[in-house]
Amino acid sequence: MKNVCSEIGKLIHRGIASLCLSLAFVTPTYAAAPYYEGKTIEVIIPFPVAGGSDIWIRTIAPYLEKQIPGNPKFTFRNIGGGRGIPGVNEFTAKAKSDGLMVLVTSATNYFPVLLGDKAAKYDFKQWNPLLVNPVGGVMYAAPVAGVRRVEDLAKAKDLIYGGISAIGLDLIPLITFELLELDTKAVLGFKGRGEARIAFERGETNLDYQTTPAYSATVLPLIKEGKAIPLMSFGQLDEKGNIVRDQAVSDLPTVPEVYEKIKGKKPEGRFWETYKVFMPSAFAVQKILWVKGDAPPEVLQAFYSAADRLSKDKDFLTKTDKVLGGYPLLRGDRLEKTIQQAFQIDPETQRFVREWVSKKYRVKFD
Amino acid sequence: MEQWSNGFKTNTPKLQPSNTPVRTLITRMWEAALTALEKFANPLHLAMLTAGVLAGTVIGILPGLGGIACVALLLPFIYTLDVHTAMILLVGSLAVVHTSDTITSVLIGTPGSAAAAATVLDGHPLARRGQAGRALSAAFLSSLIGGLIGAVFLSLSLPIARPLVLAFGSPELLMLCVLGLSFAGFLTGGEPLKGGLAACLGLLLGSVGAAPSEAVYRYTFDQLYLADGIPLVGVALGVFGIAEIIDLLAKGGKIAERVSLGGGWLQGARDVMRHWGIVVRGSLIGVWAGILPGIGATAGSWMSYGHVVAAARDRESFGKGDIRGVIAPESANNSVEAGDFIPTLLFGVPGGAPAAILLGALLFYGIQPGPRMVQENLDLIFTIIWSFALANTIGAAVCLFLSPALAQLTRVPFVRLAPAIIVTIFFGAFQSSQHFGDLYAMLALGLLGWLMKQLGWPRAPLLVGFVLTKPTEQYLWLSVSRYDLEWLLRPGVILLSLLLLISIAWIFFARRKGKGIGGEEAGTETVTLGRASSVFFTLFVLAVSLAALYEARSFPFLGAIFPIAATVPAILMGAGQLVFELVGPGAKPTPGSGRQVKIAFGYFVSLLLFFVLVWALGFGLAVVLFVFTFLCARAGAGWRYAALYTACVVGLAQVLDRALGLYWPPGALTGW
Repeated sequence: MKNVCSEIGKLIHRGIASLCLSLAFVTPTYAAAPYYEGKTIEVIIPFPVAGGSDIWIRTIAPYLEKQIPGNPKFTFRNIGGGRGIPGVNEFTAKAKSDGLMVLVTSATNYFPVLLGDKAAKYDFKQWNPLLVNPVGGVMYAAPVAGVRRVEDLAKAKDLIYGGISAIGLDLIPLITFELLELDTKAVLGFKGRGEARIAFERGETNLDYQTTPAYSATVLPLIKEGKAIPLMSFGQLDEKGNIVRDQAVSDLPTVPEVYEKIKGKKPEGRFWETYKVFMPSAFAVQKILWVKGDAPPEVLQAFYSAADRLSKDKDFLTKTDKVLGGYPLLRGDRLEKTIQQAFQIDPETQRFVREWVSKKYRVKFD
Repeated sequence: MEQWSNGFKTNTPKLQPSNTPVRTLITRMWEAALTALEKFANPLHLAMLTAGVLAGTVIGILPGLGGIACVALLLPFIYTLDVHTAMILLVGSLAVVHTSDTITSVLIGTPGSAAAAATVLDGHPLARRGQAGRALSAAFLSSLIGGLIGAVFLSLSLPIARPLVLAFGSPELLMLCVLGLSFAGFLTGGEPLKGGLAACLGLLLGSVGAAPSEAVYRYTFDQLYLADGIPLVGVALGVFGIAEIIDLLAKGGKIAERVSLGGGWLQGARDVMRHWGIVVRGSLIGVWAGILPGIGATAGSWMSYGHVVAAARDRESFGKGDIRGVIAPESANNSVEAGDFIPTLLFGVPGGAPAAILLGALLFYGIQPGPRMVQENLDLIFTIIWSFALANTIGAAVCLFLSPALAQLTRVPFVRLAPAIIVTIFFGAFQSSQHFGDLYAMLALGLLGWLMKQLGWPRAPLLVGFVLTKPTEQYLWLSVSRYDLEWLLRPGVILLSLLLLISIAWIFFARRKGKGIGGEEAGTETVTLGRASSVFFTLFVLAVSLAALYEARSFPFLGAIFPIAATVPAILMGAGQLVFELVGPGAKPTPGSGRQVKIAFGYFVSLLLFFVLVWALGFGLAVVLFVFTFLCARAGAGWRYAALYTACVVGLAQVLDRALGLYWPPGALTGW
């Protein structure tokens, strides 16, 4: 009997203890309900459905829904076309300071600003980056071009590069050719990087680049068959903004490394300045999720903490590895300085680039 | 002797590596195909497939909405499924969009998607003759067979697809585009000058926007909207859809005034059996159009239509309701999607929007399509192929089942159908880029299409020219800048040039023998506008061409080639046409046509008002006002009927909105 009593006493005791414990856990949530509880976040995607940026945000959104406190729902609006400008303008006009509308951007949105396009009237300084995802680029050549190693590039003749447009991502390889003084002819007008790669495979071009995810899936098999030779990566930025090796292809030298190898000195000159300005926005901070600058701190905190938790989430890391391109999904404040630097260009460099592309690639600026 | 045996010894191991992989690949393919098929024994997978097919069927019927809308509907579900089930759902819906989009093309002359516009030419006249049933059953059966042939071809070509695709360089692709463009010539109808002018107008429309070769924007008038060019959906819905609706409304009455014999379902099936050769050729044209980058479903179905017109001995009946003109494009437009899987899965390069979506979904599951797909994900490839084949079968069955009821729509006074159709078209066109420019473009091109129809100008060459401008220009530029003039001597180019010359010679030969080319719409429509309007229209085309030529002088050399190639012949032909119209007898408008033209303009004004309402009040309120007033004022409906009808339209729109997550433009004045 005593035994039973003490058992009951223990149970009650335990019950009270656990009640207290659970209260201790519950109380903070009562004190302040999560900012996003029961809310819907509208994502503006200034590109058509199934484009790179569209897939990127749609893939990570279900994980964000789980990890952001309050489990908000995401809805998506694709406003394609017009070089991404109408979509960004819509965000500028409609987004309020409540953090319920966010924007995805990619290199397509940054280049008009860097090149001084009048139609691009937006200002990245007025927004806060929530999440950042870098992507890398790798250049490779066909063995027929007489290239066995990257050093052979300097002597190689008749290199033919296939690209899309001189004012898109191709600007980075085009600057690289000038920087390394390669004898390259650029054939522009392909519809996409995939089509340019097909042209490489059928021998129409012999120099090409792909972003790192496409490189590992479609170019590595070619390298194994001896049909392609990897040359260099465009590099990534460290936290101080220096160009360093790309972690996805760490065995490949970066463009400045190749410059040193060929020329025997540190890179310098106008094209090097240009490379340093354009490479980050093309690759190192390529995909960014933005919110208006005057959004409450809870908004930023919600996304940052979600990013922190996702960086340890095994399921997320394995499932999104291909979409994230082998790079981490970074909190926006981690690279904030780099990001703001990435969209700054001194007027002299801008004038230089504009003159160079209009002369060499007949680009007409208004 | 020793040497011999030595030779053998060294030879055998050499032979083996080249032999075994092929054999193992075939066995592996066989095994993978069976494993993938087993999946469909699972009721869940079969249910998913059916769900996908039903979604695709409904969305295909709605004009202007296609593969992209399908995905918007299914995407939220996809992320919760495993990759095989997701592919079954997705492929199931995408595979049938081009089966069901035929329904609106045939019944109301409004293409359900851009690729279905070719079916309008002969399918709609058949419906107006009361043979909607025949046209639809022939269309569904050829769609089905086309899809199945596509699936078989896709499986067979897996081991050899990569070298096959790589055999086509830019010059060969250019020649294919030129061949396709020359088919526009076969569609020019009885008056080659008008046809040629229409094709040139198409090329000019296609030149709007960013040039593929140079960083220059052409004819954009500083409008950001035009920088990407005019959307294909807008052109197809305007030139064919709006023009047809206005015409039907102006004529009054029902779509099919009489019920004709021999218009039944069985007849359609018999037609397909009789023309099985067209079905096979059409399917193969479709598969190739899908496999080769840059051609696409729209061009594929037009090429198939053009080929059947070109190859026919008697061409008079095309455009007036020839069943062959339904079978050819329909057998092509499903197999295009099958062909499209090859560049998507083996190269990671999507050929069209649906394939791009599929690619995106695969990426989501961590599968990057590319050369390794055949080695690593063969079972997945076969899941896709089987889903495609089975979805085609189920889709065709569903459509056949639905159609007798839908065919009855042709016996309802058209003015009662019109409001619902107009609302859907406006909505569909607006989704392509969520810009009011879509509606502007559609209405302006609708007026153009209506005028062309009234003046006896064929509209098919316009669409073909428009669709093929960009790829032709891109491949021309790539060929010249890569090979200079050497590309002309490549064997593939010479072969395709010969094919082109033979087709042209065949056309001339047929014409000399007095077998005139019927072509599109030649003489089928009563000309309702007189000589004065005809002269004015030709003058208008001339003025546009001259202005475009003047503008082209400021373009850099390569960006100017295409506008010049379009405008110079247009100016010459336009001048000829003008002389011909001033000197010739001129077509006499049929009696009573003056009244019809007035009515037509009245309807144009209503559409314009609707547009203004959408802009000012937002889509929701505008739809209510437009549908209700239209029914009361134009259709003579009572207010009760009109209110009920309006409620139904709004309710359906709400359902669609919920399901698709579409964007409704808010009004400029109301803000909602």
